Amino acid sequence: MGLNMIRSSLPKPSLVRGIKTIPQPPGFIVGDVNDAYVPPKPSKSHGSIHWTSERAISMAMVPLALSPFITGASTVIDSTLCAVTLAHCYTGFQSCIIDYIPVRVYGAYHNYAMYLLTFGTGVAAYGVYDIEKREGGVTNIISKLWKA
Amino acid sequence: MKLSGLQKQVIHLYRSCMRQVKHKPIDTQHHWRKFIHAEFVKYKAIPKKQFSAIEHLLRSGDRRLEMFSNPQIKDIS
Amino acid sequence: MFRSINRLNLLGLRRSLATSAEQRLKSFHIYRWNPDTPEIEPKMQTYEIDLNACGPMVLDALLKIKNEQDATLTFRRSCREGICGSCAMNIGGTNTLACLCKIDQDNAKDLKIYPLPHMFVVRDLVPDLTHFYKQYKSIQPYLQRETNPPDGRENLQTIEDRAKLDGLYECILCACCSTSCPSYWWNQQEYLGPAVLMQAYRWLIDSRDEATNLRKQMLQNSMSLYRCHTIMNCARTCPKGLNPGKAIAEIKKQLAFD
Repeated sequence: MGLNMIRSSLPKPSLVRGIKTIPQPPGFIVGDVNDAYVPPKPSKSHGSIHWTSERAISMAMVPLALSPFITGASTVIDSTLCAVTLAHCYTGFQSCIIDYIPVRVYGAYHNYAMYLLTFGTGVAAYGVYDIEKREGGVTNIISKLWKA
Repeated sequence: MKLSGLQKQVIHLYRSCMRQVKHKPIDTQHHWRKFIHAEFVKYKAIPKKQFSAIEHLLRSGDRRLEMFSNPQIKDIS
Repeated sequence: MFRSINRLNLLGLRRSLATSAEQRLKSFHIYRWNPDTPEIEPKMQTYEIDLNACGPMVLDALLKIKNEQDATLTFRRSCREGICGSCAMNIGGTNTLACLCKIDQDNAKDLKIYPLPHMFVVRDLVPDLTHFYKQYKSIQPYLQRETNPPDGRENLQTIEDRAKLDGLYECILCACCSTSCPSYWWNQQEYLGPAVLMQAYRWLIDSRDEATNLRKQMLQNSMSLYRCHTIMNCARTCPKGLNPGKAIAEIKKQLAFD
């Protein structure tokens, strides 16, 4: 109770105040009380295919991360490892955005967050390319650090 | 004056209640109007910052609207 | 023989005397909110209960409070043996059934009782489960068949097929698991939640059911099923000892190469 009072008396930060959320139906009830809930439209690319590719990416990371110890540094393995790690991060953050900035409540802000994520991933991809080109790969850097 | 989202929702509820009255028999319609008005006036004093209370009233109001929209319910006192 | 009965009586008498002499008071902090006065904010009310004069379960204590101290305390209860799922509430930080939760006999510790978290409260300990039931309805929890059984009487099932339903059909839909799931807290409106998904799985693997493809189709989107991040609060809190997390994982496996 006391906490609520403090919360209501505090001014909201301007960033939060500026964001308009979409009002939800009272009690989350759409239609009649006795109607069944209607799920979103089925779409395999958002459902099973997305999930399966997520698992495939995480599983691919294991041999790729271990192989440089056996075969030594190679640009091909190194760049695939970097790309797969990046994809893994992308899907991870995508999941966070779907969880915490859902279209249902935030509308366009969901898309903005996704664009920002894609942009960030693009920048990181360029960074990976740069490292591969100039430093000779992440494995190379790590082995240098290890020796240093 | 610019209305907040919650205020808009309350007005929306009030208007949909009033619209629903038209589906009731003509000779009982003034009973319904009086009833709806009394129900809304009852909670007029609630400060607009009490979001949880207003949201609860909206939820229960929605339920009651759905219940009273049943065409078998014809009159109210 | 007469003497032994006499002695028994004496012992019983002495025990009852001893209990009335010492009281073991334990305080219960209970969430109170009255919809008739919505402008008054929810508060915690404290009740003192003598554990010696009370049954072993939390529900006994709640009934005792309602009978003797405060008749306005509101909560759902029906079977008092963990088969109806009415008395689901948050007791001491975990969602359980009040009728299956033993009172901690240490009377120095207080017990806090709240309604199920992240649900709309109707009054005191009564949550609004309408949306939960709407979601349950959406998975079509009934047998769907195109054909009639060959003998015209009943749909038979092998013992092995029946065994697959063990650990799924026992669910009583008390909503303890769904309301303990953080994913369900954030996306209650679209994510179906562990309880409903476990029932979805129960109908997916039923050998007599013929609507499997339709059922799978319904879960093919990013919200209904895939908001489960295997947090596993559901399995930890389930008062019936079931594992909704495993059922959801099995659905994901079935859908993976669908």
